[in-house]
Formats: sequence, structure tokens, C-alpha cells
Amino acid sequence: MPVFKTPFNGYSVKFSPFYENRLAVATAQNFGILGNGRVHVLSLPPSPGAPVAEIAAYDTADAVYDIAWSESHDSILVAAVADGSVKVYDSNLPPASNPLRSLHEHSREVHSVDYNPTRRDSFLTASWDDSVKLWTVDRPASIRTFKEHAYCVYAAAWNPRHADVFASASGDCTVRVWDVREPGSTMIIPAHDFEVLYTDWNKYDDCILATASVDKTIRVWDVRSFRVPVTVLNGHSYAVRKVKFSPHRGSLMVSCSYDMAVCLWDYMVEDALIGRYDHHTEFAVGVDMSVLVEGLLASTGWDELVYVWQHGTDPRAP
Amino acid sequence: MATPSTDVKTQNPATAEPTNEADQTAAAEPTKPASLPSVFVNSEPIRPEQVENAVKFLSHPKVRGSPVMYRRSFLEKKGLTKEEIDEAFLRVPDSSPTVQAATINQDAQTKTVSNAQTQAPVQAQQPAAAAPAGVISRTISQPRFHWSHAIYAIGILAVSGAGTAVIFKNAVVPRLKSWIRKIASEDENGVAQKTDSKPSVAEEAAAAAKAAADAAAQVAKVSQEMMNTNIEEKRYFRNLTDMLDVQLREMRAMSFSIRKLEEQNNMGALPSYNQDYRVSSSKQQPYANGKAEFDSLSGRSSSPPAPAEPSVPPHPKSYMEIMAMVQRGEKPPNVKDIDDSPPNPHQPISNSRVDPRSKPWQSGQAPNSSGPYQLNGDSDQGNGDPSIPWWQRKNVRITEVENEEDSKVGQYYSSGAPEQPARSSWVPPQPPPIAMAEAAEAIRRPKPAVQKEQQSSDDQSVAEPSDELQRITKISETGGAALNTTNGIASETSPSEIQEEQEQNY
Repeated sequence: MPVFKTPFNGYSVKFSPFYENRLAVATAQNFGILGNGRVHVLSLPPSPGAPVAEIAAYDTADAVYDIAWSESHDSILVAAVADGSVKVYDSNLPPASNPLRSLHEHSREVHSVDYNPTRRDSFLTASWDDSVKLWTVDRPASIRTFKEHAYCVYAAAWNPRHADVFASASGDCTVRVWDVREPGSTMIIPAHDFEVLYTDWNKYDDCILATASVDKTIRVWDVRSFRVPVTVLNGHSYAVRKVKFSPHRGSLMVSCSYDMAVCLWDYMVEDALIGRYDHHTEFAVGVDMSVLVEGLLASTGWDELVYVWQHGTDPRAP
Repeated sequence: MATPSTDVKTQNPATAEPTNEADQTAAAEPTKPASLPSVFVNSEPIRPEQVENAVKFLSHPKVRGSPVMYRRSFLEKKGLTKEEIDEAFLRVPDSSPTVQAATINQDAQTKTVSNAQTQAPVQAQQPAAAAPAGVISRTISQPRFHWSHAIYAIGILAVSGAGTAVIFKNAVVPRLKSWIRKIASEDENGVAQKTDSKPSVAEEAAAAAKAAADAAAQVAKVSQEMMNTNIEEKRYFRNLTDMLDVQLREMRAMSFSIRKLEEQNNMGALPSYNQDYRVSSSKQQPYANGKAEFDSLSGRSSSPPAPAEPSVPPHPKSYMEIMAMVQRGEKPPNVKDIDDSPPNPHQPISNSRVDPRSKPWQSGQAPNSSGPYQLNGDSDQGNGDPSIPWWQRKNVRITEVENEEDSKVGQYYSSGAPEQPARSSWVPPQPPPIAMAEAAEAIRRPKPAVQKEQQSSDDQSVAEPSDELQRITKISETGGAALNTTNGIASETSPSEIQEEQEQNY
């Protein structure tokens, strides 16, 4: 299975929605505490033994915490940078012409960026300044700002079916559901007793969302009855950093955690943990499931490695 | 509080299920029925007991001193909805800063009452204190009011203390004297009481002086002993620190020598950061940083998970180094000054070279139809596998990893399942190349009919999902697996296509 060594600590990895063999990696120097950042655009080789090719790499002054591919343009990516800026890159242009845009409105680190998969024209950024902002690539200023959380917002995720609905996960221990047409949040879910680090919607049931928290659990919620979670998934021994629903199977999820493991879950089954990968030797901080290739997983972590493997295989196998 | 959306909310609990079905039967994606967004809106009515609890919480004096944002956040974490929180804020007399001074005025008055030891001076002072306090509260902000009140309190305390002392002297001492006289008169004939009282007082004074002298001597002895023990402790402490210094020096020498050895081993190759962490982490003491609970540097893999509270995971050694540097205000040496501003901020954004693909969960064409990498076996990858790139290969052996109890799970990836022949009854009769007929069928027949057919003919005991969408998801997934076996790997697109056709729920 191909492995790519990044010079900096990995923070996030995303498959391209246009090319099966392409992915982007967000990395940060010095674990993201203080240092530069780099965005890598990688291309998987035709055979697993061949090395991963780097199509492009962009250096940033500060750490890059997250990366997202445009859903409407095959070569555009958006990076969430720790200095509060949002940078737009075009991997078809030479490095000297990049970045295309640098949008600076957040007053603190931008922790997450998510592109709208249904409208394809807008994206959200979640920041430690307690707000979420809505942008389009062609406008220099944000369209909306959603400020209600009492603490850092760690993630924002679009609903896969309703183009105007999204959820945000925050360090104030709540998850809020928003509608961009409404001025404030439409629902407040007190999801955990500790910080909620990530949230994602079920692609096949638009009322289900999952949350990953510092309390080591992943909880699955139904917005129609949000007082009690649908299920609580235990299995990680440290904070869960990300959880993502599969684009192909309705109840399948992948998660990565500070216990260095990437786990696969099926929350509809009694014994929900159906796979565990311990290939990382430091915190596993980024994970993604390919939309174009069923079962293809990618992960990255503070051990400066990016793994891409098919579910069921060993990520470290040559 | 009545808001425009309450009508929708009262409808919603009763109509949640049909609304979902209505969603699925509705027409195109962009235009939705008006009741649809209400699924993402809180539909519960305001709970009076929660509002009352919130009002009590907000009325608490300590809460009143905290920022409004923290109060809201606390109530949100307790599970109150926005409407309930707003209602509670309205019901609490006031939560704005200007009125806080008036409430603090009341608190101050209660404080003055409780501080007083004698009522008379306090009552005299209280109206005086209240009047200026009342005036001050409207004009001066909170801190000053507290200071002046503190001065008043101190004055009151001093006066009352002096008063009680005087009263004590006047009342108690005569009693004591009379008691002594009684005792003296019991022993002797009660004639010379007056003459005896004076010498008895003098004797008592002498005795008291002796007792005081003894006590002072004892105190002096005790203080001397304490001095001695302090000196001894200091000696012990110095010895201890000396020993620790010696140990530290030894440890540093050892780690230095180990690093030298490592450098010799790792010459030329990429530095093995991980080895560095693990070896040196067990040798060096943890650096001082903000994380006081950090205690498992050396035993990373063996640290057990804490039962309920989140524990701090062991960070790599260089992470601690960098944290220490940052806290000291130093910049790590490898950080460069990079100018990452756009060279041309008005650069026009080009058009995409490739059309966007639909997602697997959306209606429409298969996601794998276009793109530079073929998936259907036409490519000549030459990687050993007959027709597909390595990342397309589905691992049939995944059932080993997953639990095999639940065959539903196994069917996600594996190629065999017992229920497939039974389920193939509803699988479209046409072979996969005519997959579009499935779409045609779905379009021709009304949506509920299609769903009913699937549900009625499906014998599989699907688990708990009440949502029909999930049921259909399960059915389609297993149906996809069935087709996967019959048609082989080459037609991978078709199961996913059929999945999408069946998952067409608008």
C-alpha cells in the first residue's frame, strides 16, 4: 500500500471528488503549535508498490489544519490556515501563481473547511474565534457569519441532502444544526460532556449525524429526537479526532483518534467496531473515505505519514 | 414565547413520520415542501420545569456576576432549547449589568445585617449605610460600591468591638469580684470582706503575673525548639538537593552519550524521530509545561484508558520541547518566514476541466463513469490484477476482520450470503446492462408502491431502523452484493448504479 512521508506533521487528508487517485494533505510544522504549513496534492500510483507522486505542494506561513476540494472545479482546493486565513489554490496553475486567494476574516485559527456537496458553490469554515463563516470562491468576503457557540468551533459539516443545512461541533460541548436561511441555529444538541471535535452527517439518512469527542466516544444522533443518542460507540482509548460516514454504506463510519488508531464502525450492529488499524505511530489526526472508490481509506497523523489502503488490507503492507 | 415557527413545531411531532415519507415522495431535489426544514428545527414545546430551573439558576447571585454568554452556554449544555433559555432570561427580573448594581445593593444590606454583632450600632449605621449605598449604586459601578461598603463594615466592626469590650469590662469584672468575695466570706467570718478583697486582688494579680511569666518561659522554650527543628530540616533539605543534583548530572551524561550513539547509528538516513522519542523519553524527566497531569511519557502504549474522564494522551517528546520553547517565548529554529499571499489576488478563476460527478447517495448517473482512470476492466494497468487498479480491489476476506455474526455486515464487502437467492426475487429481472430499466421502473411506478413492494417481499429481518430510507439502503446494499457475485468484478459500476436507482428518494 502506498505511503507518503510529509516533512511536517499531518493534520488532514481528503480524496478528490473528481479523480480517484488524487488526494490532498494538510500538514503543519512542529505539530501545529508554531511553525509553517504545507499543502500537498498527491497522486496515487497505478501499482501499489510504486511511490506516491506529489503533483504540487504549497507552503504557508502558518500551520494548515484542514483542506477541502472544490466540488465544482476539479483542481481547486481550499485550505484552513492557523493564522486565520482561508487560502484557495489551483493545482493546475504553477506554484508561482498560487494561492489564488487569501481570505482573511477570522480572528483566530481556522480549524476546518467543508465544501457543499449539493450546491457545489459554497464552503464553510469553522474557527477558534467561535464562529462559522460561509463563503464562495469567487467572492472576496464571506457571505454569512454564524456566531453562537461559546467556544472554539472545531468542525462544520454540510448535510448531504439538504443544501442549506449544516452542523457545527464546538468546544462548548454542543453541536448546533443551522440553516443558512435562518439567522441563528435551529437546533442545539448537548452532545457530550466534553469538547466535541468533529461531526459528520449520515449520507444515506439525512437526519443522522455522528459526533466525535474528547471523551473518547463517538455518538450517533437523530435530529428528530436529539435528547438521547441513537448509540454511543466506545473503543478508542483517547480523544476521537474525526469521524466520517461512508459515502457508500449507510451505517459505516471511520474514525481516527489520539490513540493512534483508525477504526471502522457500523453503528446499526450490536458489536459496532468492525475494523481497527494501528498503523500510525503518533496521533492519527486525519482520515477520509473516498467518494469515488468504495472502501478506499486514507489517513494521516503526527508521525508525518499518509497511508492509503483498501478496507480489509494492511495499510503497511508493501 | 410565541414565535412564527411554533405552528410548525406543534404540527411536527405528530407529522414527523409522514413528513419524512412526503420527503421521499416529493419531486425534485432543490424544491422542497415547506415542512421539510422543520426536521432540523427543534420541535419540542417549551418545558416549564426546565424554564423554572433555569430561572432559579439565573437568579443565583453568583450567576448574576458571570457573563451572559457563559450562562447561556451552561443552559445549553443542560439541554435547554433556545426558546426555553430565552423565556428564562425574560422571566428573571433582570440580567442586564445596570440592574445588577441594585441587586448588589440588596446583597450589601443583607451583609451589613449579618456582620453586626450588636444591634444598636448597626441599626444606627444601617440607614446611614443604605442611603449613601443606594445613591452610590445608581451612579457608581460595582467595585467602588464594594470598597465603600467594606470601609463601613470595618468601622461598624471596630465600634461594636469597642462597645462590647467596654460592656464586658463593666459587667463581667464586677461579677467576678462579687464571686470572689462570696468565696472569701464562706471561709472566714464575713466581717473583714472589704479589707480582704484588696489583698485578694493583689494576690490574684501576683499569681496572674507568675502564670504569665511561666507561660512566657514556656513559649520561649517552644520557639527555641522550633528553631532547632527548622535548622535540622534545612540541613536535610540541602542534602537532598545535593543528591538530586548528582543524579541529574548522571542522567544528563547518560542521555548525552546515548544521543551520540544514536547519531552515529543514524548517519545519512532520515532521522528516526520515533526512535528518538521512545528512547530519550524514558531517560529524561518531563519538561515543565502547562499540563500538570502529564505523567506517562515513557509508557505510551501501555497506558490504560481512564474510565470516565478524558485523560491526556502522551505527547511525543519533541512536542513537549516545542511547547516549552513557545512558553519561554522562543521561536523554534526550523520556522521560516514565508510569504504566502496570493501573487495576483484578482486572478480569474478558470473553468473546471471536468464536470462534477454526482455522489453515490444522490440520484443520477454512476460516479465512476468518467475520469482518466478506467474501472471497468478496459484499462491495461499491468499490475497483475486482470482489469482494475489496485485500489479498486475489494477484499473478500474482510469477513475475518468484521464480526461474522451479523450477515448484514458481512454482505457489505463479501461476496457470499445466504439470503441472496431469496432477495433476488425483487431484484429487477433484467440483466445489469439494462440497469436503466430499473430507473424506468422506478420512475413509472409511484414511489410508495415501489417501497411497499420492496418491504413486503423482503423477508430479511431488518433491524431497528424506523426510517424507510435506511431499510431501502440495506436492501439495496445486499442486492448490490448479490449482483456483485453473479456478474463478477468487471461490472462493478452496475451494482452501484442499481443501488442508486433504488435509493432514489427525493
